[in-house]
Amino acid sequence: MKAKARQKKGWAWLTVLPLYAFTLLFILGPLIYMVVLSFLTREEVWGVRLEFTLDNYAGIFEPVYLRTFGESLKLAFLSTGLVVAIGYPFGYFMAKLTAHWKKRVMLLLMIPFWTSSLLRLYGWIIIFRAGGVFDQLLMALRITSEPLKLLYTYPAVVVGMVYALLPFMILSVYSSAEKLDFSLVEAARDLGASPLKAFLTVSLKLTLPGLLSGLVLTFVPSMGLFFIADILGGNKVVLVGNLIQEQLMKARNWPFAAALSIALLLLTTVFLWLSRRLSKEPS
Amino acid sequence: MKNRTKLPILYLGLVLALMYVPILVVILYSFNESKISSVWGGFSLQWYARLFRDRAMFEALRNTLVLGGASCAAAGVVGTLGAFGMTKARLRGQGAVEYLSALPMMVPEIILGMVFMAFFSLIGLPFGMGTLVLAHTAFCIPYVFMLVKARLVGMDPSLAEAAQDLGAPPVRVFFDVTLPLTAPAIASGMLLAFAMSIDDVIISVFVTGVDVNTLPIKIYTQLKTGVTPEVNALCTLMFLATLAVCLLAAFLARERKAKE
Amino acid sequence: MKKILSLTLALLLALSLASCGSAPSKSELVLFTWEAMFPQEVLDSFTEETGIAVNYTNFDYDETMLAKLEAAEGGVYDVVVADDYIIEMVIQEGLAQKLDTAKLEHYGSINPAYQSQFFDPENQYTVPYGAGVQTIVYDPQTVNREITGYEDLWDPSLKDSVGVIDSGRVINGMALKVLGESYNTGDLEAIRRAGEKLRELAPNIRLIKDDNLQDDLLSGEIGAAVMYTSQVTMALLANPELKVVYPKEGVGFGVMANFIPANAPNPEAAYQFIDYILRPEISAQCYEFLGYYCTNKDADPLIAQEMRGYLTMPESFADDPNREMIGNIPADALEEHEKAWTQFKSACGA
Repeated sequence: MKAKARQKKGWAWLTVLPLYAFTLLFILGPLIYMVVLSFLTREEVWGVRLEFTLDNYAGIFEPVYLRTFGESLKLAFLSTGLVVAIGYPFGYFMAKLTAHWKKRVMLLLMIPFWTSSLLRLYGWIIIFRAGGVFDQLLMALRITSEPLKLLYTYPAVVVGMVYALLPFMILSVYSSAEKLDFSLVEAARDLGASPLKAFLTVSLKLTLPGLLSGLVLTFVPSMGLFFIADILGGNKVVLVGNLIQEQLMKARNWPFAAALSIALLLLTTVFLWLSRRLSKEPS
Repeated sequence: MKNRTKLPILYLGLVLALMYVPILVVILYSFNESKISSVWGGFSLQWYARLFRDRAMFEALRNTLVLGGASCAAAGVVGTLGAFGMTKARLRGQGAVEYLSALPMMVPEIILGMVFMAFFSLIGLPFGMGTLVLAHTAFCIPYVFMLVKARLVGMDPSLAEAAQDLGAPPVRVFFDVTLPLTAPAIASGMLLAFAMSIDDVIISVFVTGVDVNTLPIKIYTQLKTGVTPEVNALCTLMFLATLAVCLLAAFLARERKAKE
Repeated sequence: MKKILSLTLALLLALSLASCGSAPSKSELVLFTWEAMFPQEVLDSFTEETGIAVNYTNFDYDETMLAKLEAAEGGVYDVVVADDYIIEMVIQEGLAQKLDTAKLEHYGSINPAYQSQFFDPENQYTVPYGAGVQTIVYDPQTVNREITGYEDLWDPSLKDSVGVIDSGRVINGMALKVLGESYNTGDLEAIRRAGEKLRELAPNIRLIKDDNLQDDLLSGEIGAAVMYTSQVTMALLANPELKVVYPKEGVGFGVMANFIPANAPNPEAAYQFIDYILRPEISAQCYEFLGYYCTNKDADPLIAQEMRGYLTMPESFADDPNREMIGNIPADALEEHEKAWTQFKSACGA
């Protein structure tokens, strides 16, 4: 028995070797570099000095920067919430389709991905621009009489974020819901449970892994996405991603940018840890 | 029972339609006579003509496809194998490696790009397709890994065990039982990874070499100076090409099924 | 089985591509600057005449350029065109080589008004290529009052209709100018006061954007803008009714320039290129395409009539004592600017 277990472990090690090797080399390396960078001092003109300091981390606690983190969290939660509200039903319904249709919808979902996301964002600008497609539609339908100022507002950014992140949630929920045995739901209904109860106790519980990995794939990147706030928000919404870009590029303060990134990393790690705790609950 | 199924389909249709709206706008404006996107100047095919004369654009496209293919393949192999190993047995350092592999997703692209560039030049790698593939693989792996792992975690182990009890060596079990069952997750992971790679701008800008220009970089730099509808034309063509490939694949699959 | 084959093939392909690096050919020039800095016709005619192929690579921000140049240790690129302040840093870092002006036949064509600036006082490293001026452009159809200076942008009638570029130094600088300070003051208190003043402008700001701000002015999304000179030129060409204002508080201007990196692989080609674009006819073509002020005095008369007014600075400007370039400032002042800028942006989004 022990020999078989050891052989099993041997195989397992072989399979994870590429992942281990790649991760340790090309991810751990840069990460260590980033951590070291966050403790260094910036050079006056350009670059860094090998001088240890905690100033970069202290700098994060300035009210203006804390506010940025707060704003990012707020937008991330809002976007993620909407993505769950729209994406979960989508993934769920998609899993209920016939095999034929499942493939079709999957393809329809993925095809937009092969069009540049930047260009699609600019597509939204053409639509939402004052006097653009949406305005003309509303005016033609006599709902509004003059152009709305839809663009470069906070809601526009939210729409953009949801649009960009939705497919991730859908795919995650789908890949989990796809192996859901719908007869279990039927059984629960037959036993007298209301549709809501059946959903909560059976469907939701069984699709939880998909939902949670979807949350991760949505919430985590949303903190760092800056070009949506840039393009659709007229750059008025400052997120951590924008801040890091600004500090890295314009302010040329690499250590501070690194410190901000580490802070962001810690924040998202906490979130990941929480979601993993939650996924272990239902046994 | 029957009328309850109408709502889900309507919902799917509505969401999908909304997702395609900006794409339709992109396609529409590829025929715009005027160069400025805020003005519709009339119908014109001039941008398509310009596109076909633009060698640099096609080279960028070629680079992007190669890069995407290589990265998603590498991520597919590494991520899938890793997910398998980690769900099969409790290995040392597993949690840490899993966390690290997801790191590229948790760190903003801009800092990732800078850090990769600094790291690559530290270890003396020449910038070019090689560094691009490395960087892209790094951020593609988590997509494959997560989706495959989620699938494996919920999978029924009895099938694989049964095969093993019947005397099949682990390799056979892997290829004939587990792999086909996880194929949808691997496929969607790789598709997602490919999509991420062919859309990446920021990281690519930092780790690319002088000779390698990718399509998203080209689109990004052109958008900064003014959307030439040429870019719209290219995306329209890519969109149609993808559509054609998918339809063809579906047609062939149906043909094969009919023969069986 | 098929999947495994295709996977391995893809991997092999990737590996083979990774291992093939290309050596710079003797007949290639690596040009490193923003997109759309040179018309394709000029690059093509250069190649036709000299047989040197132009590898036109791009960066989006000056800082990206410096990062890549540093990683390349001053090599890889032959000609770089960038902004004044970053060139000062490039020179300080030792990443540019001194120019042998004897190799530049048309060196005398350069308009001396744009030379000897803070970043290269002795003109040892650079050749100017285009100059920009901070102006206010507004549409008299939508803006009811006359604008004569930065101060007027604070007018409540301009609520939610002003667009500015995404440059902290320039926009903070606007507030500094209104308060009578210098763009380059190192006085942290002055910068803080400018930040406060700037936050009062927030309700008027509709847009903070670097790219194609002129589109928003032309489409009516905004009524007034502080933009890059090339954007001003494009806006004016599309709508000559727009008004351009040289702010009464003082005009800020900047210069872009060519330089040759310290370890450029093909400096001979670099000299040939720089000289080529100094030729008056070629120069005129470039500026007509670029939309920035012409820094070549011999090219001035050759610029198309309808554009000449947009691409040359007015006479009064040369003597204006209030004109100032935005230069580099100490790190703590820069930090103060960043904080003010971030606060301003947040206030705009609130």
